[in-house]
Amino acid sequence: MERIVNDFTINIATANGTGSQSANLILLQTMFEMGVPVSGKNLFPSNISGLPTWYIVRVSDAGYQAPGDRTHIQVLMNKATWEKDLEKLEQGTVVIYNSDVKLPVERDDLILYPVPMTKIARGLNPKLARMISNIVYVGALAEVLGLDEAKLEAALAKQFGGKQKAIELNLEALQLGRQFVADELEVSDPYVVEERERDPDAFLIEGNEAVALGSIFGGIGLLSWYPITPASSVAEELIDHLPKLRVDADGKSTCAVIQAEDELAAAGMVVGAGWAGIRAMSCTSGPGISLMSEFIGLSYFAEVPAVFWDINRVGPSTGLPTRTQQGDLTLVYYAGQGDTQHIVLIPGTVEECFEYAWRAFDYAERYQTTVFGFGDLDLGMNRWVCKGFDYPDAMDRGKVIRSQEALEEIPEYGRYRDVDGDGIAYRTLPGSGLEPILSRGTGHDEDGVYSENPEIYAANMQRLARKIEGARNQLPAPVLREEEELEVGIIFYGSMENTIQEIDDILEETGLKVSQCRVRALPLHSHVEEFVNRHETVIVLEINRDGQMYGILRTELPIELVPKVHSVAFSDGIPPRARVYAERIMEVLEEVHK
Amino acid sequence: MTIKLNIIELPKSDYQGKPSSLCPGCGHDQISTVIINAAWENGIPPERIAKMSGIGCSSKTPAYFLGKSHGFNTLHGRMPSVTTGACMANKELCFIGVSGDGDTASIGMGQFVHAIRRNLNMVYIIENNGVYGLTKGQYSATVEKGSRKRKAEENRQNPIDLCAMAINLGCSFVARSFSGSKKQLTALIKAAMSHRGIAVIDVISPCVTFANNEEFFRSYGYVKDNETELHSPDYIPHHTPVEEVDIPAGEYQDIELFDGATLRLETVGNEYDPSDAMAALAAIHKAEVDKMHVTGLLYFDAEQRTLDEELTLSDTPLVDLSDDELRPSEQALADLLAEFRS
Repeated sequence: MERIVNDFTINIATANGTGSQSANLILLQTMFEMGVPVSGKNLFPSNISGLPTWYIVRVSDAGYQAPGDRTHIQVLMNKATWEKDLEKLEQGTVVIYNSDVKLPVERDDLILYPVPMTKIARGLNPKLARMISNIVYVGALAEVLGLDEAKLEAALAKQFGGKQKAIELNLEALQLGRQFVADELEVSDPYVVEERERDPDAFLIEGNEAVALGSIFGGIGLLSWYPITPASSVAEELIDHLPKLRVDADGKSTCAVIQAEDELAAAGMVVGAGWAGIRAMSCTSGPGISLMSEFIGLSYFAEVPAVFWDINRVGPSTGLPTRTQQGDLTLVYYAGQGDTQHIVLIPGTVEECFEYAWRAFDYAERYQTTVFGFGDLDLGMNRWVCKGFDYPDAMDRGKVIRSQEALEEIPEYGRYRDVDGDGIAYRTLPGSGLEPILSRGTGHDEDGVYSENPEIYAANMQRLARKIEGARNQLPAPVLREEEELEVGIIFYGSMENTIQEIDDILEETGLKVSQCRVRALPLHSHVEEFVNRHETVIVLEINRDGQMYGILRTELPIELVPKVHSVAFSDGIPPRARVYAERIMEVLEEVHK
Repeated sequence: MTIKLNIIELPKSDYQGKPSSLCPGCGHDQISTVIINAAWENGIPPERIAKMSGIGCSSKTPAYFLGKSHGFNTLHGRMPSVTTGACMANKELCFIGVSGDGDTASIGMGQFVHAIRRNLNMVYIIENNGVYGLTKGQYSATVEKGSRKRKAEENRQNPIDLCAMAINLGCSFVARSFSGSKKQLTALIKAAMSHRGIAVIDVISPCVTFANNEEFFRSYGYVKDNETELHSPDYIPHHTPVEEVDIPAGEYQDIELFDGATLRLETVGNEYDPSDAMAALAAIHKAEVDKMHVTGLLYFDAEQRTLDEELTLSDTPLVDLSDDELRPSEQALADLLAEFRS
């Protein structure tokens, strides 16, 4: 039998709240430490204990990080999904299952490895058997795949954070699982993990933790937040890291963290803090953005710096709270009543999560407006390989007048007077005693005084449009990977970065060479238009139903370019599988070329 | 003629604002005047004050006082959250929040109670007239059962008493007053400015346009006839030695405030102890039953820690920290990455 090395997908079916996440992370960390390109996706329910959870591990020397087209190795732990999970498996799939679950495995076209996981776990500690049995499957998998024992043990010790008792107990469970497979089963499958050269700089991190760290290094002074999946871990990681990174010589904090009563208040605190001169942020998801929209409009109109991270989950409404989507793009781009438009930074990697988190503050203070960070559950809550973070550039605190001398240098100061011609006016801070104003969300003139004057209103709105327009080419440019043919170009963004190469390779197998353009910010950089211009046909690829980025492109591109732009948008809550999107792209192209 | 100056040698004109555009005779304008007097007499530098408001007639008033202070006329019911953020940025400013009964007791109820729960260091004034003035006189949630505004059915729903609510939430300073009681209101607002923590002052402030008829419990006439004063308050600033102050003939109780000032409560009827929450709630309840308005310092507790203290924020206000103090060093990032890589 031919061996299949580092190129398969493992699906682990468990119930949540049983400790399976720890087991899965040990598995992921071990393979990562072996230098094997690996990614893990947690498909979890909106529930704390007892409902089905799947963890998908993609092992791929090609570096593919999407879930893959099929399962090669299935771990079965959960009674509730047992039958359905089995049904879906293709012929030849390896099934490692808990044989103490007295449910039938009635398929003779699979490679079956029954392991009495509950019995082994009970033998170690009857009370903790349910949790320990998860570690037993890690042991069994380790034996089947040939995982490095020392790295496995190190990963286990890391996961249990030095708690000696837990480490010893789980280590034993690991070894018993491994031993059972070695002694009692005849391993007859082709799947093998082989060690690769490990990049010593790399580590695994979740996008949300990278956002938290980027914010801390960005000089955040206030985080106000309301708990919501999948954004809570941004706040929680921030809270975890602050005591080490942001205390002064007296041991006091240089960043306030407030768990607000709702997202209305969370946004209000951000706006209040930004108005008073510090860098403030909130993190939320779609439902929170809905509530924050009134303050986002205020931030836009009163011109107050504010940063909001939207870690997308599946909408509409409460939707699928624990699943991933890019469904909030138009929501954040235009949040607020009346004519509004916001700067949106869209990271596609954990390195960019860190970078855009600190840059968001620079942009917010430079343009005196709301800046969104736009992530999603997939990027935010799964662990990704990270090469490290670059130290931020010097802070850009924007046009803040901090002294009488500076004020005097400005001819005809007015809070909303465009003295530099870039649409950005100067501001003073409360407490400074310099040119006080009563800020407001109502119509105002160049001095900030209430006004309903039609000319003044219209001119102010034009200035605001000009201000945001000026940001366009100052924001992160798209990442372009172009083919010489310049036939088909694919525009995509955010976490699709982790699937695009596999999609590209699938298309290339059919003889189709496509260029890639990963958009990293809104409003769109001029390079995006140039990319569209250069290509014969452009596909906009995204994880939602309606093609929201496609809609934005249709609105903002010159009208003669619009006919060559087409949408491929799909979302079912599961992180994008390459073949699903590749097939849709081919369908659209076929339709276009008819 | 010499212009009278306050203790920091500023004329009162430095504390004034733009002319009011509210209806002539509006209770809110009287309150604005009191705020101007209180800030001037307390000698607070105008630039050290931030005036905050929501939306509504009351929330327009920050334009009419303290023209040399920064202010933020925010969103409907959202003044507390904006003030919270601003206070975290600059905890040394004196925050004066002005709100109305619609702004606080309905759309802003959530933010009101949570600002109290956190003991945000601010003065929170509710200009409470029982109607939504700016949208032409609809009843608000504080209007009493049985009260009736002009050309309308009487209100049959139970009112929300913001003082009772604040006391139940453990608010550190709770007072009720009347826009027509200038002396009492001035003393209470001055004391609130000297207090550290949230000071809630619910001020009955009649709406002369939509609800000033005798059948309305918040009309001038009704309040004048049906006010029960708990005591007669006098504010003694920290720079005035107490011995220089006239000692009233009768009984009194002194409240020591955070900045060294004293609020002297002269007994006018029965003895009243503002540290007794049960007595405060009983007084409010009795007034409601009797269709009266009880005014004065209802409750006071100096012991509570404020939000910025609870968060152990740096002694220097966050807004005054340098970029280097706000951003961890390159070495800190290198150490962190090394830890991740180990």
